[in-house]
Amino acid sequence: MMHLKKGISLRRAAAAWAVCAVLLPTGCATVLGGQDGPVIRAKERVAPALVHIRPVKEVFAGGKKTEMLAVGSGFIISPDGYVVTNEHVAGESSSVQCVLSDHREVNAKVVGTDADTDIAVLKLDTTEKMPWVKMGRSANLQAGQTVLALGSPHGLARSVSKGIVSVTDRYLGDEGQMISPFNDWIQTDAAINPGNSGGPLVNIRGEVVGVNARILNGAESVGFAIPIDTAREVVEAIIRDGRVHRSWIGVTFQEMMAKTDDPSHLGVVISDVERLAPAGEAGVKPGDVLVAINGKAVNARFEEELPAVRKSVADLPVGSTAELSVKRGEEKVDISVKTEEKTAQKGSQAEFGEWGFTATDVTPEIARRAQLPERTGVLVSGANPGGIAARAGLQEGDILLTVDGQKVNDLDGFKALYKERRESQKKLIMLFVQRGALTRFVLVNAAPEAAQPEEENAGHAE
Amino acid sequence: MRSKPLLILLSAVAAFTAAAQDDFTAQALESHFERVVPAICQVLFTQEVTDPRTGETVRRNGDCLGLIVRKDGLVMAQGHLSVENSAPVDLRVRVGRGGAEKEYPAALLHKPNDVNVVFLQAQSDTPLNLPCVTFSPQPLRVGEPVAVVGLAGETLDFEPAVFTDRVAAVITQPRTTYCLSNNLRFGCITGPVINTRGAVVGVSGIDLSRAEGGELYTRSGHPLMYQAELFQKYIDNPPAREESKKAEDTAWLGVFTQPLKNEYAEYWGLEKTGGLIVSTVVPDSPAAKAGVQSGDIIKAFDGKPQKFTQDRDVLAFTKLVRDTGTGKTVPMDLLRDGKPLTVQVTLATLPRSAQEAAEFEDAVLGLSVREITRDVRIALNIAEDVRGVIIRKVKSGGTAQIGKMRPGVIILALGDYPVTGIADFQQAMTKLRETKPAELAVFARVGPQTGFFRLKPKW
Repeated sequence: MMHLKKGISLRRAAAAWAVCAVLLPTGCATVLGGQDGPVIRAKERVAPALVHIRPVKEVFAGGKKTEMLAVGSGFIISPDGYVVTNEHVAGESSSVQCVLSDHREVNAKVVGTDADTDIAVLKLDTTEKMPWVKMGRSANLQAGQTVLALGSPHGLARSVSKGIVSVTDRYLGDEGQMISPFNDWIQTDAAINPGNSGGPLVNIRGEVVGVNARILNGAESVGFAIPIDTAREVVEAIIRDGRVHRSWIGVTFQEMMAKTDDPSHLGVVISDVERLAPAGEAGVKPGDVLVAINGKAVNARFEEELPAVRKSVADLPVGSTAELSVKRGEEKVDISVKTEEKTAQKGSQAEFGEWGFTATDVTPEIARRAQLPERTGVLVSGANPGGIAARAGLQEGDILLTVDGQKVNDLDGFKALYKERRESQKKLIMLFVQRGALTRFVLVNAAPEAAQPEEENAGHAE
Repeated sequence: MRSKPLLILLSAVAAFTAAAQDDFTAQALESHFERVVPAICQVLFTQEVTDPRTGETVRRNGDCLGLIVRKDGLVMAQGHLSVENSAPVDLRVRVGRGGAEKEYPAALLHKPNDVNVVFLQAQSDTPLNLPCVTFSPQPLRVGEPVAVVGLAGETLDFEPAVFTDRVAAVITQPRTTYCLSNNLRFGCITGPVINTRGAVVGVSGIDLSRAEGGELYTRSGHPLMYQAELFQKYIDNPPAREESKKAEDTAWLGVFTQPLKNEYAEYWGLEKTGGLIVSTVVPDSPAAKAGVQSGDIIKAFDGKPQKFTQDRDVLAFTKLVRDTGTGKTVPMDLLRDGKPLTVQVTLATLPRSAQEAAEFEDAVLGLSVREITRDVRIALNIAEDVRGVIIRKVKSGGTAQIGKMRPGVIILALGDYPVTGIADFQQAMTKLRETKPAELAVFARVGPQTGFFRLKPKW
């Protein structure tokens, strides 16, 4: 369970490039290699469908909602203009502008995003027939084979770099906000930089085999791409349903090696069971070894095999009953679990400008970290130091449990309570919050300050 | 009897005139300086600091000013010598200067909880007869000049030095607190503070004791003076040795509170007469057992009205509880939903802190673990139902470290043996030493997540 890999999402860096672009060497002019026919042919097959993406992202910081231009890459996958990119590029954006390979600027709308795999699908706002890429198979990849990475490193559109596949199934554990439970990653030494996010990783036949998404902070020649087999399934689901529906039973898996290196022990370790989740309520316990789901064997001796096991649970029909075959010590136990739909990894976020704070839905992960007995309340994601919420003592990280004694169920629930209080111009509002292990009362004084309009008037009367 | 008020009045006027006219003359400063310098010594120590979150411990050497307050070798030093999660070891007191230094080993005495100083007792086979300062408690006024004697830094050979300062503020609630106006140099903390009349009125300090809200003052950035009234009782009756300290001394109620500010009272439709809002009730605490609920408002404790309206005031309540005494049953007057209610609470002993936690080191696994104390449970937000031991240290290159275990990880089971505390852990290790399994699956909690670590112990 201890993964010290320091992957960094290309998003933050991509957002930062705009500021520091002038400082970066623009040394892409050395790509002269006309000798290498196959490489050029592979590039030519993909380059026309390459997209430079400029999303305007909604950023919640310091208790305020702001908008920020980011840069990423993508590729067109169909003649009607569907574009694949990363969730961390196009997610939470208010508008997305795409620059095509012929420098044309076309707006796009976000069809859907999937934070769990870091995939997003856009649709270009055009009726023209678009050039598109051919998607290959990542299952057939081998370490050592030549690949190209195309995209906009540091915002430099239409860049191509070349390398080989370093590893086909790199496992990356959770790292901060980067949680991709269903991905094993293609590791490559083809140069990938911030801004390459969402761009294609291409084999020598000019087929897209991966979606570039991450780099290892501080390392060189260590980039990671989402295998196209994983991406394809997600893209199809997004185009069909707008998002991916997955099943959830509320367990965490660990590879068998965490308990034993005896290869005769098959299955996968259940390392954690969430409260109030289907598996826990059905009697699954941490330490159980799951050997089969609906009679089908599951195995993860090594961590690289965990994404496939997680996927086998996620792929169960939502609301169906799954038969888990579990080994508890020497005993064999069969447990029936009714699956629930997995909630979105990222909670939605909102700004409450008049009080000067932002809040987000409590996701299962947030609830677990905060040791909440149930999923309830909203998480204060930021409090503007000059706002009335901050003045009342509300802090980032607080979980808002009640408003005037009324329970806050979720963000929509809080929005409604907030709106009522704004409309009724209630002066004093009592919030009850959880802060770490403690709870606290926070009294918000929402009375308009009398002095303010006076000063404004004085300013106008020159 | 009738002449007494007049007498006091006159002396006050006289003092006022003297202080108002006089700043320190160079001559006076020199004479005060010469008088107190022999009582100033150096405290040398090695400090062991434990990070409560990771359990990691580091040692470092340090020194600070000590003030000899009794000729038998009682020395006063800054309270930061003994703070939570840190303990000074190998304490020494260096007395005298100019080639005539003498060093004595010293024992730390139980730290007072109402003033941020510690006392040390210099150890000697023969009775000591050291130069010491004598305090003359006298109130100070805002703006009044004072002199602080301290030590210059190491590069200046710890030469004694005198600094002039002024009283910047006199805070009266919850107890009289003097703020000084200059930045206090490190070597001056706990240095004697002398007024213009030459009286040693107290010592300088950098914040209040923790029980008094020391952290608030650290943030304020103001140096303070601890007036002699605060600590004279400890000079007259020195506290017991640190080893013999008994946690039973300190009583515990088990609530976290907020002051009932007027706005809060207005919201709940209560009289604006102050009080304490119970914001959190610690599970299994005396308050929880008495049925106290979060949202209750404490109006009186043990018959004493609690009229708090300021954040800082709640610390006075903490002190009141602590001083009330373990095992004592006292009435507490509450308001619940605006209605009065009296509960009887039986105060318990303050739970052990991480610093005092039971600890066990296992050489085979290469780690030391300790019980999960109440303070750690709150600091790390560990749920009540999580029972185990928390790793304090892992040995570099040891079995636990190779198995990717690190400080802060909570061990819940060793193989098939559940671990709910130190005793369980020791028992499990005893049994495992008999069976010597080649690999050991340790069930543990890291943050909010449980999982397994596979260890290969070298039995």
